[in-house]
Amino acid sequence: MNKIFSRWLPCATLAAWSSVLLYFYFSGRIHAFLHPSFRPYVLLAGLAMAVMAMVFLLFPADANCCSAAECGHGLSRVAAGKVLTFLILLLPVTAAAMFSPDNFGKNVMLNRVEITDASSLRSPVAQKNAPPAPVDMPLPTNGADSASAAPASAPAPTANAQPAPPQDYLQRTPDGRIVAEVLDLLYAAQDNALRKDFEGKPVELIGQLMPDTTHNPDGNRFKAVRMFMTCCAADARPVAALVEAGAAPKLPEMSWIKITGTATFPIENGRRIAVLKADKVEKCNPPEETMLY
Amino acid sequence: MSWFSFHLNDFAVSFLSVLFEGVPFLLLGSIISGFVDVFVSPERMARLLPGRGVGSVFLSGLLGLIFPMCECGSVIVIRRFIRKGLPLSAAVTYMLASPIVSPIVAVSTFAAFRGQNPWIMTCLRLALGYVLAVGAGLVARKAKPESILLPAMLNQNSARRRSGLSVAAAPTQDFSDLAASSSVSQKLLLAVQSATADFLDVAFFLIIGAVVASVFNTAVNQQVILPLATNAPLAIGSMMILRFLLAICSTTDAFIAASFAAFPFAAKLAFLVFGPLFDFKLLFLYGVIFRRRLVLLFGIVMFVLVGLICCRIAGMQFLRI
Repeated sequence: MNKIFSRWLPCATLAAWSSVLLYFYFSGRIHAFLHPSFRPYVLLAGLAMAVMAMVFLLFPADANCCSAAECGHGLSRVAAGKVLTFLILLLPVTAAAMFSPDNFGKNVMLNRVEITDASSLRSPVAQKNAPPAPVDMPLPTNGADSASAAPASAPAPTANAQPAPPQDYLQRTPDGRIVAEVLDLLYAAQDNALRKDFEGKPVELIGQLMPDTTHNPDGNRFKAVRMFMTCCAADARPVAALVEAGAAPKLPEMSWIKITGTATFPIENGRRIAVLKADKVEKCNPPEETMLY
Repeated sequence: MSWFSFHLNDFAVSFLSVLFEGVPFLLLGSIISGFVDVFVSPERMARLLPGRGVGSVFLSGLLGLIFPMCECGSVIVIRRFIRKGLPLSAAVTYMLASPIVSPIVAVSTFAAFRGQNPWIMTCLRLALGYVLAVGAGLVARKAKPESILLPAMLNQNSARRRSGLSVAAAPTQDFSDLAASSSVSQKLLLAVQSATADFLDVAFFLIIGAVVASVFNTAVNQQVILPLATNAPLAIGSMMILRFLLAICSTTDAFIAASFAAFPFAAKLAFLVFGPLFDFKLLFLYGVIFRRRLVLLFGIVMFVLVGLICCRIAGMQFLRI
């Protein structure tokens, strides 16, 4: 009986955890759960656990841990407690891995404090403590500084270089529409330089459909929502761009939609907000990376 | 909208993401700890400390940087330290500091708080952990061993390896003696076994922590808890109580703390500093060596001290993040 607890169950636990980690990594499902910088660690941990499981399989290894007399955990003192321990180590992980979807549902969108302007990307506590933000953030708008305000993909200006025509760092569709993310529009609403790149321009945006109840005086607005992840899905928060259309699309909430329209940045209730005036709203497939980073 | 609405799918996504983020760091900590356990004898560690002066207390607080040990392991390791003649004050300092002042904890805290001022959080966590451990060591230096240690600790000659959540039978032979008399290949095998035992012990608590954090993060309406989260003393106190109950390992608790997005920086810091010093499992583990009344007093003092320090930090404008 002791061999089961000291050799075979540790071996099975390591093998199961290793399988889960490697499956999520190689199937690409890990994209929905972790920021890219953490994903290689999952691969390394999966491989290390596989090696450790092999050690237990091939050698008369023994995961002896402590003496029951010294242990503060009653579970370790009886066989039933040890079985329960292994069930807790094995069942939740394997069950969650088998049945978990790769996306949060509507409930999480509603439970977590939604972000509709870029200044709210800090924690709710920081927002409460922060002084009221100005309508437009006082960012410089000259050429060099606007480059620093642009996304990281924009080329950095070099010293002593001749002024060159500004490069278009924005991704576009074949018919010239800017491919924007929800965060682009939220940042543009707060940043004078960035706003010039989007305001009045044709834009294409993908998000999940949610109704809007806070900025919707005429009942013709809804939201395109994405989850914004810092480290892992557990800390992801919904970010939403407002969309204005003649009529709300007749699709279920949380459907993935592609909106083509014009980016506008009106001032409402003393704040500049992003509103995408839609020409067309259509159902679409989820993007390859459902989370924003 | 109701304050609580649980959905299994959302819970599963959050639960797996916390595990995926934390398990590699837990495994790294277990592997390093396992190798230290087998290849570095307590006698060798004891020889690194300079005598019985105040300097040994200050140096013991930094020993975790070279010989990292989780809180479960450090409690039992110091039993051997004390028997080998290491001053009680230095042993207590190492026991309290090594679960915080350690490279694994520094790396995992930094990684977990990516985007939430990771440098400040990591430095404050390690610095506060060190100061509190050294402070406790200096207090222990002034006290008589018989007023701190259990009578059995003063006389007992038998030695067991370490404690934790055992998933295996009790060893019949002292682990350190077994490791010392083994060949290199046997030591490697023992190191893997030790790492596995550590990993399984602590993974149990990580799973429970991930369950609690995921229920909180997906089922509880964050608007409802905002008044609690925005009141610094309440937030700090509640996060310390939560950490006490969760009893998770210091190598992975940062991933749990960082996921409480609604809570302020100082409350998360309190969670990360208080937990490795005193939590539910340590309450019992400390009782293996120290007098129970002293253990309770230590817990209360640490709760108040960490709470006051973090309340002070919460008032600092540049840390309102």
